[in-house]
Amino acid sequence: MSGIIAIISQPPAEGLTGGDLEALGGAAALAAQTGEPVLAAVIGHSVSDAVAEAGERGAERVYVADAEHLAAFSGDAVVDAAESAVAASEVSTVVIGRGTNTLEFAPRLGARLGGGCVMGVTEVRPDADGGFAVVASVYGGSARAVYRLAATPRVIGLSPGLAPAPDRDAGRSAEVVAVDAPASAEERVVVDQPAEATGPRLEEANVVVSGGRGLQRGDNFALIRELAANLGGMPGASRAIVDEGWAPSEEQVGLTGKIVSPDLYVAAGISGASQHMMGCSTSRVLVGINTDRDAPIFRYARYGINGDALEVLPELIRLTRERAGG
Amino acid sequence: MHIVICAKQVIDPDGVNSYALWGQLEVDESGRAFSTELPLIINAYDDQAIEAALRLRDDGHDVTITALSAGGEDVNQLLRHCKAMGCDEIVRVDDPDGPPDAFRTARLLAAAIRDLGDVDLVLCGRQSSDYDQGTTPAALAEMLGYAYVTVAFDVRVEGERLRIKRATPLGEEQVLASMPTVVTISNELGIPRYPTGRGMIAARRHPATVKTLEELGVEDGDGAELLELYIHEVAGECEFIEGDDPAAQAAALLGKLEAEGVL
Repeated sequence: MSGIIAIISQPPAEGLTGGDLEALGGAAALAAQTGEPVLAAVIGHSVSDAVAEAGERGAERVYVADAEHLAAFSGDAVVDAAESAVAASEVSTVVIGRGTNTLEFAPRLGARLGGGCVMGVTEVRPDADGGFAVVASVYGGSARAVYRLAATPRVIGLSPGLAPAPDRDAGRSAEVVAVDAPASAEERVVVDQPAEATGPRLEEANVVVSGGRGLQRGDNFALIRELAANLGGMPGASRAIVDEGWAPSEEQVGLTGKIVSPDLYVAAGISGASQHMMGCSTSRVLVGINTDRDAPIFRYARYGINGDALEVLPELIRLTRERAGG
Repeated sequence: MHIVICAKQVIDPDGVNSYALWGQLEVDESGRAFSTELPLIINAYDDQAIEAALRLRDDGHDVTITALSAGGEDVNQLLRHCKAMGCDEIVRVDDPDGPPDAFRTARLLAAAIRDLGDVDLVLCGRQSSDYDQGTTPAALAEMLGYAYVTVAFDVRVEGERLRIKRATPLGEEQVLASMPTVVTISNELGIPRYPTGRGMIAARRHPATVKTLEELGVEDGDGAELLELYIHEVAGECEFIEGDDPAAQAAALLGKLEAEGVL
């Protein structure tokens, strides 16, 4: 078995984004270590643009499962289609980027293929015999673990930022191989879906302003929203205040929420538990505002204000409003 | 309706976090475990999975709840907690020295669930707070051939199916799933109840049913082998913005951020 295959499921019509590009980048990085070819599997409906783009971004062969029942995500159908692509391509390793549904199918695929799976991989390390080990965080980011997936085919779920997106070169094209993807009985049916996000996405915001327990009351989250808006950014929240119901879970930043990497991340009234920092520690400039000078947030922050977020935020809002207003 | 809760005993992640921050967390000579002595607790998401099962009982459904865990005798404490919460039966797969491989654990749990027979619903926490992988329940569903639904915060029985609300990164999603199903529970479910006094007394008198790997016929297989744990460094070069009052600090901060080119 040879080859590293990047799985791209339900690609957006306007071109590959986030996790899909990182899967291609991760596959290329691994292939460079092991000397295996880079392949891709595209799963969805009417995906010819994504197939072409995968080729232009370095996949030598693209396995395509194109069917009407694959238009929307379903864990059952995507695992089946990915299994067919892996069988047809006879690869050693499957690489999947972080997306909305990754957790729903990547580990299942690892179990189905028999080689297992490691999620949230932040680093790939070559080993002496031409293989590799993978690194993922444990205990909410307090430590790291190194794993080996000895058997093949195995599945690697990437953490954002492991590998850059490979450049697009219109001169390249892949051999395209159709994969049979019959529809089977669905064991689970989506009956009510959140509206497809049309506005800016938290994961792609240049500025994120997040609030935590230091806000003291739910309605103070309005301060976070206002400052984020003044800075042209988006609001975020710690898990603690999502659990309190002060902010919706879609705005949660952290290990079990969104992973963001903006130019500017402002953490107001957030202690900086590693669970939260897993979601923002790669931000270019991180600002912490906290009453406790020993709070962990200041270990990660570039700038710190040792003070009460409820006093500092209104001043930041006032000053940024004046700027925004000219 | 027979519900199985899969529960895991973990080192208190807050304790690990605090020790790591103060540079006191150490890895033992095996390289695969911490030498630092820290309390063991139930994985918090698994506690919420028990709560999800108890809410189905509160809804008036006739449910039998079995709590299942794998490990040595130290896991009996966790199972007593499950019993005290309101689980009917507690089962331990005797595996005192098993390596922390999610796929191996899933094989043990799948064998134990097959051994129980007639299971309609398996509830698991969305991930364990030690390894944070979220792979065990997925592998379990795959091995059992059950339907699989992740990050649920509301689970209801609707005829022969389950109506499940999920906390997805895009917002709430509702799915209908056939049974048997493996469902993972997310923190959005809310705070689990405390064990009652009566529950705690009952738990003391109720030993766990112990199953050996031989009895269950667990087979070897492949998975993710843990090679080592290590503690990484956090940079820490924070420049504190001083100032007479919050207004001065805010103005100084904005000046710095402008100089950095991020505003």
